[in-house]
Amino acid sequence: MRILSDVPTRSAAHGFWLRLLRSPNGIVGLSIVLGLVVCAIFAETLAPHNPSKMGTGGRFLPPGRDFLLGTDEFGRDMLSRILHGSRITLLVGAVAVGISLTTGMLIGMVAAFQRGWVEAVLMRGTDVLFSFTETLIALSFVAVLGPSLQNAVIAVGVAGIPFYARTCYSAALVETSKPYFEASIAAGAGPSRLVFIHLLPNVLPTMIVVATLGVSTAILAAAGLSFLGLGAQPPTSEWGYMLAGSRDYINRAPWLMTIPGLAIAITILGFNLLGDGLRTSLDPVERR
Amino acid sequence: MLRFIGTRIAMGALTIWVTTVLVTLLIHAVPGDPVQIMYAQSQGTTPEQIEQVRRSLGLDRSIPVQYLMYVERLLQGDLGNTIRGGQPVLEVILQRLPNTLVLAVAAMFIAIVIGVPIGFLAAYREGTIVDIGLMVLAIAGISMPHFWLGLMLLFFFALELGWLPVSGNDPMNLILPALTLGLSNAAIFARLTRSSMIDVMSQDFVQTAFAKGLPKAMVLRRHVLRAGLLPVVTMMGLQFAFMMGGAIVVENIFSWNGVGRMAVEAIFQRDYPIIQGFILTFSVVVVVVAIAVDALYAVLDPRIRRA
Repeated sequence: MRILSDVPTRSAAHGFWLRLLRSPNGIVGLSIVLGLVVCAIFAETLAPHNPSKMGTGGRFLPPGRDFLLGTDEFGRDMLSRILHGSRITLLVGAVAVGISLTTGMLIGMVAAFQRGWVEAVLMRGTDVLFSFTETLIALSFVAVLGPSLQNAVIAVGVAGIPFYARTCYSAALVETSKPYFEASIAAGAGPSRLVFIHLLPNVLPTMIVVATLGVSTAILAAAGLSFLGLGAQPPTSEWGYMLAGSRDYINRAPWLMTIPGLAIAITILGFNLLGDGLRTSLDPVERR
Repeated sequence: MLRFIGTRIAMGALTIWVTTVLVTLLIHAVPGDPVQIMYAQSQGTTPEQIEQVRRSLGLDRSIPVQYLMYVERLLQGDLGNTIRGGQPVLEVILQRLPNTLVLAVAAMFIAIVIGVPIGFLAAYREGTIVDIGLMVLAIAGISMPHFWLGLMLLFFFALELGWLPVSGNDPMNLILPALTLGLSNAAIFARLTRSSMIDVMSQDFVQTAFAKGLPKAMVLRRHVLRAGLLPVVTMMGLQFAFMMGGAIVVENIFSWNGVGRMAVEAIFQRDYPIIQGFILTFSVVVVVVAIAVDALYAVLDPRIRRA
């Protein structure tokens, strides 16, 4: 009977959503992330002005009725810039995590499935890259490719691979040692069936949690590169880049510093909370 | 224990060897002609001079030969010369590395001194309003970009209140960058300490200690704290690497004259010898610290010591 109860059913999925929506972390995180997605999709409609049009208002207008979040050194509307920036931020997070997740999962699953020398080479290589730290990998990539937002996203994505590979490897290793997996080998399942039908769906929940938390890491890393001038270039309304530009006017217009920073912090908080919520909803051990 | 440390040292050596290979290959991954790019910003360089630089960097040889040349020079402590100024790279790095290490160590100190007690308190009061409050604070701390925190601290303490200097390299100037880097990591330590302590407190040996009637303070100090801090020690190695990475950004905010600021400048100037030297130095520091932390862990945990 135990085997039957392990099969994910409709009610199991229902229970998962219920747990997610009942956990304070999950509901707050989900709301923030959904809010961001809405901002990103409807940025054109929601933004009161053109984000890159100079002289929309006067220069350095503090937040007020006409310009809710004020204007910057070129008289551009900050609210419109922040709204359009959410598109870049979410895209950066999604693409970077996409690179880390797909490559990392492939490495992790192949290593756990193949074992032997393939496993040794892949996992020792991952260990070496992991001890390089993500910052160093990202910085080296930007040093080679040159500063641009696209290169920063690639750099952050590649830098994350070792971590995703390691996590997927340990999750996959647990699965391959379970009786159902041995049973399907005995039943004559081929490698692609074993990896894609058995391994993949079972490591996916863990990897979704890791990826959700990873979006915040990736967004933070890419914004950090842009802040240093190694990522987004003008006139992009990327938040990290906007923050860097605010340094010159820190006394005159502190809102130029507060607002993009707050936008980044809220985004990261949203993904962190959602990731935490997902983990507790998916992992029965953490459920208390 | 010797075997444990031996494996770590071997792994570290492998990492550094891979770094030397990658650093040699790095210059070839640059789209276009690296020498042309490096000198694109300095005017009046003749084609002859460029050819000479190419030869002196060994770029006219095959890649394996270049690698051997690189390693040979490396063993003599020669990391090449900077493109701008022609100074020995090793000298430039050694001049600035102590600043970065001081910053990272000070930040680590702040992170532990703030993070561990918070985590311990939260675990001790698990489930109460204190615990929830502290953990909300911690997740907010983790979500706060350190470059933003740095700017805010700079704005309030240096510009508005005028208590601390804006930038420079005096001991007083260390406070803001170390706080910036330390506070964002304190939250990570707080969360880790909390979960580790809760884990330990539910274990049998702690229950036994309570059942024996030992005073609470003694159980907490001798049993819970000691076992609960082990994961924190392991985390220190990884955190130090994060700090070194974070230092790159923080040094740039506060004009702290460390290797991180140097590296970013070098990327803008396409000064590849400095970038190569930086990558190598960074990974050597991270590897050495990781081995030291593992050794410390082995000393603290008898299960590993006797293995």
